[in-house]
Amino acid sequence: MPLCEIKNLRKTYPSFTLTDLSFQLNAGQIVGFIGRNGAGKTTTIKSMLGLIHPDGGEVCYFGLPFWGHEEEIKQRIGYSTGAVNYYPKKKIRNIVSVTKTFFSAWDDGAYREYLSLFALDEDKTPSELSEGMKVKLNLLLALSHRAEMLILDEPTSGLDPFSRDELLDLFAELKRRGVAVLFSTHITSDIEKCADDILYIRDGKLVANCSMDDFIKNCCEDGESLEDAILRMERGVRA
Amino acid sequence: MIKLLRKEIQLAASPLSYFFIGFGLMAFVPGYPILVGSFFVCLGLFQSFQTAREANDLTYTALLPVAKRDVVRAKYAFCCFIEICYFTLTGAVTLIRMTLLSNAAVYRNNVLMNANLVYLAFVLLILGLFNAIFVGGFFQTAYKFAKPFVKFIIAAFAVVGLGETLFHIPGLAALNAFGFAHMGLQLGILALGILLFSGLTVLSKHRAMRNFERIDL
Repeated sequence: MPLCEIKNLRKTYPSFTLTDLSFQLNAGQIVGFIGRNGAGKTTTIKSMLGLIHPDGGEVCYFGLPFWGHEEEIKQRIGYSTGAVNYYPKKKIRNIVSVTKTFFSAWDDGAYREYLSLFALDEDKTPSELSEGMKVKLNLLLALSHRAEMLILDEPTSGLDPFSRDELLDLFAELKRRGVAVLFSTHITSDIEKCADDILYIRDGKLVANCSMDDFIKNCCEDGESLEDAILRMERGVRA
Repeated sequence: MIKLLRKEIQLAASPLSYFFIGFGLMAFVPGYPILVGSFFVCLGLFQSFQTAREANDLTYTALLPVAKRDVVRAKYAFCCFIEICYFTLTGAVTLIRMTLLSNAAVYRNNVLMNANLVYLAFVLLILGLFNAIFVGGFFQTAYKFAKPFVKFIIAAFAVVGLGETLFHIPGLAALNAFGFAHMGLQLGILALGILLFSGLTVLSKHRAMRNFERIDL
């Protein structure tokens, strides 16, 4: 049984339509969700988390439909976005002390481990953190309740190359522990480094949903890099 | 719900919400339109909504393992918590004025509203209107709060004006009774105030939960 299964997800805005997205994630699988800005990555992720209402389609986790099992599903998944900054003037220690009470599987040992790994200071406030450290704080909250699946919206945005590398190594470690990771990005090297599968979205339509090997075999022409292939495909569409 | 209320108190609330509870003591001020104090406690709550919006509180809460409708319940619970603290304080001041200070000259010569059970009923009406007009109005978008707050200000000051003028109308002077005079009337109007506060709060909460459920964050 897949950890997450999306079927025919649809959402229409006046100037944008997400069209019949279907994909699934299995335990220990890392999926890179790539597309240019405005392609529909965040709309898809927000629909998966119930933050926006899709016009149609199904979102299931652990075999359960999201709507109707929202609370128990959120206990088992983690979400992080690089862009949003929660309670910028509150100490991390206070944010954590409130957040942990909501999660039955909160693991203080894991929390301490990631706190040390990310070199975060509990007495700082989010407003005192760099963009990269804010991403790490969001990840820390997501990882400390032993989430079986992580949904990360552009987690590498704003990170320096070293922090990005550390984060991608962390994904590999999570994979070994059986955690599934879906992360959106527009940086192709992130996907090349750690993703097993690729979801490529363009203008609200999923144009590729396959393993990295298959994508490279079918889409990259004669030694072309992933980035060059995607740029060529995007330019071909825009031309 | 307790966890969410704790989250409201520790993370989302503005310190001004607690500070303005102290304005319940304004019922001691002679020659002052004491109902205005209940507007100030609502102003403190408004500040908490502003602080929470700036801190992305609703998105954070929606991602916790709670149902979306509980986000609305928690906001109402927090508002009611502050309002009940305020009502308890101003109620205590009112009881002191009705008993120990009922014959004090500064209050006997006061041409404005007297602190009695009718005053408390008007306080409850203003707090109920805040919950219905402002909190309910905010959850129509979960983002815009200026328009609902302006609407509340108009309604609140209309109630203050009503409270300050009604007892000047011939035959209604008993509304401004001192101490325990006209106790039946005072208790009846307080009961009406409790009903209005409860009704406005519960009905607007249900409407807000339906509205918030439909909103895309």
